[in-house]
Amino acid sequence: MFTKKQKRINWILVAVLLVLSVFFLFPVIWMLANSFKPDAAITADMNTIAAFIPPALNGNFLDNYVSIITDTSFLRYMGNTLLYAAILIVLSIIVNGLAGYALAKIRFPFRDQWLMIIIMLLIVPTETVITIHFLIIAKAGLLNTIVGYILPLIVNPFNIFLFRQVFVSLPDDVYEAAQLDHCGPVKYFFTMVLPMSKTVVATVSVFTFLNVWNDYLWPSLVFTSSDLLTAQIGLNSITSNENTTMGQTLAVITLVTIPVIIIYSLFSKQIVEGVTSTGSKEG
Amino acid sequence: MSFIEFKNVCKKYPGSDKNTVDNFNLDIEEKEFIAFVGPSGCGKSTTLRMMAGFEEITGGELYIDGKKVNEVAPRDRGISMVFQNYALYPHMTVEKNIGYGLKNMKMPADQIKQKVDWAINILGLEEYRYRKPKNLSGGQRQRVALGRAIVKNSKVFLMDEPLSNLDAKLRVSMRTEISKLHRQIGATTIYVTHDQVEAMTMADRIVIMKDGVIQQVGKPMELYDHPVNQFVAGFIGSPQMNFFNVTVDGSTVKFSDGNTITLSEGMQKKLNGRTGEMILGIRGEDIKLDAQNMDLNKTNVQSAVITDTEVMGNENNLYFSFGGAQAVARVSKYEISQIGDTIHFVFMPSKMHFFDKETGVNYTEM
Amino acid sequence: MKRKNSIMGMAFFGPALVLLTLFLFLPMLLTFGFSFTDYFALNPELTHFVGLENYINIFKDELFVQSFLNTVKFVIIIVPLQCGGALLLALAIHHAAHCKKYFKVAFFVPVVMSLAVVSTLWMQIYSPEGILNTLLANVGIDTQPFIHSADQALPSIAIMSVWQGVGYQMIIFLGGLQNINPALYEAAEMDHASGWQKFKDITLPELKPLCIFVFITVTIGAFRMLVQPMVMTGGGPDHSTYTIVYDIYETGTVNWEMGLASTMAIVFTIFVVILTIIQNTLTKDKEGRKHVHKKAKTN
Repeated sequence: MFTKKQKRINWILVAVLLVLSVFFLFPVIWMLANSFKPDAAITADMNTIAAFIPPALNGNFLDNYVSIITDTSFLRYMGNTLLYAAILIVLSIIVNGLAGYALAKIRFPFRDQWLMIIIMLLIVPTETVITIHFLIIAKAGLLNTIVGYILPLIVNPFNIFLFRQVFVSLPDDVYEAAQLDHCGPVKYFFTMVLPMSKTVVATVSVFTFLNVWNDYLWPSLVFTSSDLLTAQIGLNSITSNENTTMGQTLAVITLVTIPVIIIYSLFSKQIVEGVTSTGSKEG
Repeated sequence: MSFIEFKNVCKKYPGSDKNTVDNFNLDIEEKEFIAFVGPSGCGKSTTLRMMAGFEEITGGELYIDGKKVNEVAPRDRGISMVFQNYALYPHMTVEKNIGYGLKNMKMPADQIKQKVDWAINILGLEEYRYRKPKNLSGGQRQRVALGRAIVKNSKVFLMDEPLSNLDAKLRVSMRTEISKLHRQIGATTIYVTHDQVEAMTMADRIVIMKDGVIQQVGKPMELYDHPVNQFVAGFIGSPQMNFFNVTVDGSTVKFSDGNTITLSEGMQKKLNGRTGEMILGIRGEDIKLDAQNMDLNKTNVQSAVITDTEVMGNENNLYFSFGGAQAVARVSKYEISQIGDTIHFVFMPSKMHFFDKETGVNYTEM
Repeated sequence: MKRKNSIMGMAFFGPALVLLTLFLFLPMLLTFGFSFTDYFALNPELTHFVGLENYINIFKDELFVQSFLNTVKFVIIIVPLQCGGALLLALAIHHAAHCKKYFKVAFFVPVVMSLAVVSTLWMQIYSPEGILNTLLANVGIDTQPFIHSADQALPSIAIMSVWQGVGYQMIIFLGGLQNINPALYEAAEMDHASGWQKFKDITLPELKPLCIFVFITVTIGAFRMLVQPMVMTGGGPDHSTYTIVYDIYETGTVNWEMGLASTMAIVFTIFVVILTIIQNTLTKDKEGRKHVHKKAKTN
């Protein structure tokens, strides 16, 4: 298959990439390793290889983490965010999924025009309307409420479009067969369409989770009450506190990152698919 | 009143200036097996889908079991359907697929089980009971689709080219299986196919369609022996009926290459004095090469050189040029010839058909 | 049947439509409307129609002009590094003999981390006593101020952004590389093409639509820069990392000058839309030419 020369090049590539990946990952490794150390040790290790190695397992190993968990409400913020993400995943699958299905399979008036509008909405930079969202939610008296936080995030033109692209290739005869089997359109959507489209449901769920988990701007506007804060905002308020040590800071950002890493390792296929689909819709 | 009645049923798609199905009239009796056959685009599937309720009937009326169903939802028409691409629910097991409709109809679980067991048994699906469709072969999938149709006690089965995705051998065995199932269950069956062999072998009656219009309705052998026009004559039967451009003048038929034959009195009577340019049609097996027939029709013996042969084993097709056209004779295995041989043959005098050159109407069947 | 479809269609599309109206169409309309007024959110009664005044004023506003220039600087640094880096990484991983899976994960890890996390982490890394300065001291380089100086803050944040984002585009390019028909390379092999020729004549042309897509999305992404400076520098020092979106955000939700903020948002949106249209025409044009090219070849 490969000539000798090609093989050698391919091996050189591996070596180069290995070195690069170590450099590339050094901030992450450093974060992990030092999140277990007291500040004195972090500074002391700074100039040695130990900066990238976790300390020995001893009684103080988890001190930073323990102090974050006991002294701050950080676990609560993480729990809040998980809850918001769960609610939003369910709602965005239902709302965007139903809309995507309508655009794919139901011949209702102006359907093709609506589809065009959805595609055009993909371009609009959402940061520009965030101030108006704030205004609307404030006017509705929903600041500092879960509803106020969630409401503007449910509908997402990109998810509608993603669902539509998948649903459009579902076979029509299955719907006809289900009709003869006394299965109405709404039941058909929930018991047939969604189970038949597990991949896109998973992709939308994963991206919704990552969006909610990583979002900074919108929760920082809506939530001022500390009970409802999300992890990212909680993180910022903890790390900007002058009493927080460097080790604790690193422990907090490690904690925030753990769920995303878990999600990524479980759903890397869906993530890659979702990322690639943003590229392939153009080509 | 018949069990199913089509009264001037029409289908016109928006934006089209022509009816896709035009003035469809047909009575179907209970327990009949009817095949709709015709080339693609002839409107046979559209007609079936109008029966199912998936296509709107834009003109005329359709009655099922005495009830006008034009506006009735598909699920309330008392029909089951088997689809070309099976249309199984991909995430459900064989068992769940078959029982799904019953479950939605709120049938008690023990009765569902009984029904599903019966269908699985009748279709020989025992070992696949807990498999999902993607782990089944095409034939097994189609059996599941049949199972889904038969458990519901529907009075009407609609089948839309159910065998067209199967390989040739499986098609033949599924053909007999569906016929057997029909005899066992006795539901009125409408079967759409583009394959005239399926229609001929399975149906009680065949409806031949072309361009949205019924050409002829009849029992298989009626259509074969007495086609009302050239389209039906050409569509039914394989190899296709031979057609020649001829000029008829009293008892003489003159082919475009100058050969002539003399018509029998019976055939002259059927032609009823018509003369002029026509199309002569005759089936391959009605071109005879054997001594007995040659002797009977001595005066009309013709000859030609074989250009091609198809050896089937039980019989052979001999191809030759004659009368300004390519012709084929179906002969027994004892009459084998080779390319380049000269053969002598006669047209069976009573088996000839004469079609109008413009309209294709069969003069001999009027 | 038609009526049934309209009812079902609206029942399915309805919930999304209500939310779209409330949180996209209405905000867009309001933004457009506000942009011609001096709407002040704390005192909405005193709103006047001011015509195009805002549109003229923002270009006279030194801060907006600076934030625009800063954003352009971000774009100039980020776009070539991120696009080129992603393409090179993808090519290298595509041709690497081993460990492909590891590389894909390694370079993608920063993508899944949040902007706030990455910004916080790099604040530590960039700090004067931080790990980066310590390492630099080893090779004899003096302590650098990084995000604490008006000169270095912007490039520091830009490089961090590339570090975080490059994996995303790398995955897109890898997908594109896998989609190239291997028969093309086999045919080129038969035609004695060298490795470089294969890259130039097959890989690049096949990836070109994707390259344009990545180029434009990275450009738009860089124009939208906000959270990183917000967390790391607060737009400073001396507004040196203040960006357009930051300006929109602060004008709107801190100073409550919604009229002005809306005008900035409209200008920004028009800018982004134009970029997207350019991308679409570029990719379409490319397809057209490809078609002609193929035809010419067969003739």
